[in-house]
Amino acid sequence: MIENDRKQDELLAIRCQLGEPSAFDALIARWHEPLWKYLRRLAGDDDAAAEAVQDVWLRILRGIARLRDGSRLRAWIFGIARRVAMDRLREKYAEPVLVSIDDRDLVGADDTSELKEDIALMHVELARLPVPEREVLVLFHLEELTLAEIAEVIGIPTGTVKSRLFRARRALRDQLVAKGMNR
Amino acid sequence: MNDLHSPPISVAEVQRLILGELSLRARVGYVALLLVALAMTTVIASLWLTEPHLPVRTQIAFAVMAGIGSSWAAYAAWVLTRRRVLLAGHRIIAARMAVAFTAVFVAGSLALGIWSSMGRPAYAAAALGAMMLIVAVAMLLSSRRRFDALMERRGALERELSQQA
Repeated sequence: MIENDRKQDELLAIRCQLGEPSAFDALIARWHEPLWKYLRRLAGDDDAAAEAVQDVWLRILRGIARLRDGSRLRAWIFGIARRVAMDRLREKYAEPVLVSIDDRDLVGADDTSELKEDIALMHVELARLPVPEREVLVLFHLEELTLAEIAEVIGIPTGTVKSRLFRARRALRDQLVAKGMNR
Repeated sequence: MNDLHSPPISVAEVQRLILGELSLRARVGYVALLLVALAMTTVIASLWLTEPHLPVRTQIAFAVMAGIGSSWAAYAAWVLTRRRVLLAGHRIIAARMAVAFTAVFVAGSLALGIWSSMGRPAYAAAALGAMMLIVAVAMLLSSRRRFDALMERRGALERELSQQA
């Protein structure tokens, strides 16, 4: 299945490199929402993420001709998104990093089901994690990148990704337990 | 955990943005600008270099004009490599334009050299134009090879994926 996904990615990358407008439509349809979610989680607010996602798409368009191995498309795209997000965070947070929690992140404020409350709490606590821990959790658990792909996106060894992921899970669990979520 | 709300900028909006950026007309315009700027710089440089006893003011004027021509060429090259990037299909069109334009330029310069009184500068322009023509032909061959390689890989992937389906 993963092999099949890689081939689909490579085919899409090649069609883009050939200059087919319909391939860019397909690329955007496939990756816009995952990119948005990733950037939204890193940026912390809608406006910053919306600006960042447009910037990412322009960089993808301008850089795709130089992508040598199309099967690495996924890691390449998230690598661009990460660089854009980090550049913007550096500009924004010359002062300490504060992550705003949008009300819309809280799933169904009037919903009393435990699952939805847990999901909402998870969102809040995930957003409170430091960016390095948050991004590995998002890339691994939500965007389903492999450890090797995350290593490529972030530019660190796979072993470091593993240890960061371990630390991030533990930090998130500790935060959730501290908020009374013991399930 | 994976239920952030939808992006405020939709897929259709991004597709429109990218479609605008992919415009072939804009790329052709910049390729034309590059070629005209190179031709202008070549003609001025040829006149300048083949007339040894020009007054200082004329030499300054040639230097300024050559500077302007190369600045426009550098600007167009920057746009085509960083902003309106040429994809494989675009590269073939651009290279064909370059071959046609430089061939006409060389022919025109030679004609001027043979049938007018501008002998030396015209031959110098033809020689520089011939070098540009060689580069243009090399670019056409290389862009064709790249295009064919991508098409071949595309075909192979499509076959593999259809067998798996």
